[in-house]
Amino acid sequence: MRLPQLTLNQKLAAVALALGALALFSEPHRGPFVKLDARELALVVEQEVDHVKPAELAAWIVEGRSDYRLIDLRTAEEFAAYHIPTAENAALTALADYPLLRNERIVLYSEGGIHSAQAWLLLRAQGYEGVYTVLGGLDGWQDEVLFPALPAKAGPRERAQFERTAALAQFFGGQPRSDSSAVAEAPATALPKLTAPAATGPAVPAAPRKKKKEGC
Amino acid sequence: MMTPLYKYGLFGDEFSLLVAFVLGLGFGFFLERAGFGSARKLAAQFYLYDMSVFKVMFTAIVTAMLGVTYLGWLGWLDLDLVYLVPTHLGPQIVGGLVLGVGFVVGGYCPGTSVAALATGRLDAVVYALGIFAGTFVYAEVYPAIRGFVNANAMGQVTLPEVFELPWGLVVFAVVVIAVVGFWGATLIERRFRSEP
Repeated sequence: MRLPQLTLNQKLAAVALALGALALFSEPHRGPFVKLDARELALVVEQEVDHVKPAELAAWIVEGRSDYRLIDLRTAEEFAAYHIPTAENAALTALADYPLLRNERIVLYSEGGIHSAQAWLLLRAQGYEGVYTVLGGLDGWQDEVLFPALPAKAGPRERAQFERTAALAQFFGGQPRSDSSAVAEAPATALPKLTAPAATGPAVPAAPRKKKKEGC
Repeated sequence: MMTPLYKYGLFGDEFSLLVAFVLGLGFGFFLERAGFGSARKLAAQFYLYDMSVFKVMFTAIVTAMLGVTYLGWLGWLDLDLVYLVPTHLGPQIVGGLVLGVGFVVGGYCPGTSVAALATGRLDAVVYALGIFAGTFVYAEVYPAIRGFVNANAMGQVTLPEVFELPWGLVVFAVVVIAVVGFWGATLIERRFRSEP
């Protein structure tokens, strides 16, 4: 008995159907277990590519970028008192159940930098690739973005740099410190109210929002 | 080697642009090969006497779906790292209808208009100007429709997640729908080809 002669299209359809049927048994998603390459992780740490500088993060917020998730690892009370705009609160212990996707850019911060570094390793161990920490944590955010200080012997370039950061500080409701006397009493500076950034919106012109376009 | 290569940092931003350029050339080449550089061929889809658009696009979907499934199964592709366009059901249905109307009126969709532009078709030049004008108008009215554009946010979801079905079952079902669809499309072509 001879099989009926099939056209190329019919053969292709048959192949697709066979592959589709076999796919019924497929398990295309990788499980929760990943192999950690200790040397690769060490390299990432050494090259400091796992960091986001506070000023960089501030620029992202001003631009209104939405391609990252900012995670505050402190307690709910601390979060309620102050947090970096756009942040979500997820305590270190709750991080394992927190709805994060592995294809997202995740930026972590804590008070200093230790908890966020530890959370970074926990997430890396669960196969998250795009994990970053805010350099210096909330302390770094305060020193660099909210209350930037002008060095005592500042050259013209440092002054120009300070002008820019000062505008950024005011946008986030902070207070730039230009004279050395203010630097001395730095610890007394209070964190801004949470509503501050929104109120001073137009102070820094926001860059146009970039949108990802895909499709036919 | 694991993919996606870009997300694993195997190459940077600059090289990714080069990769996108090469992929774009390939996409354009196959659109032209399928005859989609011609507005006549594309418009024929809507008069039902030439279902090439449906067949080519659905073939591409099935090929990509099977490829992604098997690459993931073999462990060569980490599916969780693949970016998905977030779903906003209502706004995307409206957007699809707007694109469809533009498709019928203009005779091209954005990708095919660029392919037609590359072969020097005048109607594609006009269409491309229309794309720029439309983009400009959209950007201008965006503040007014921002609420609607961002409505029904469902996040990065896939059909197996929405319907809570096994991945493989959805893959098989889409293949079956495609094959039945191709068969049906051929019948429709025969019915309408005699009276264009």
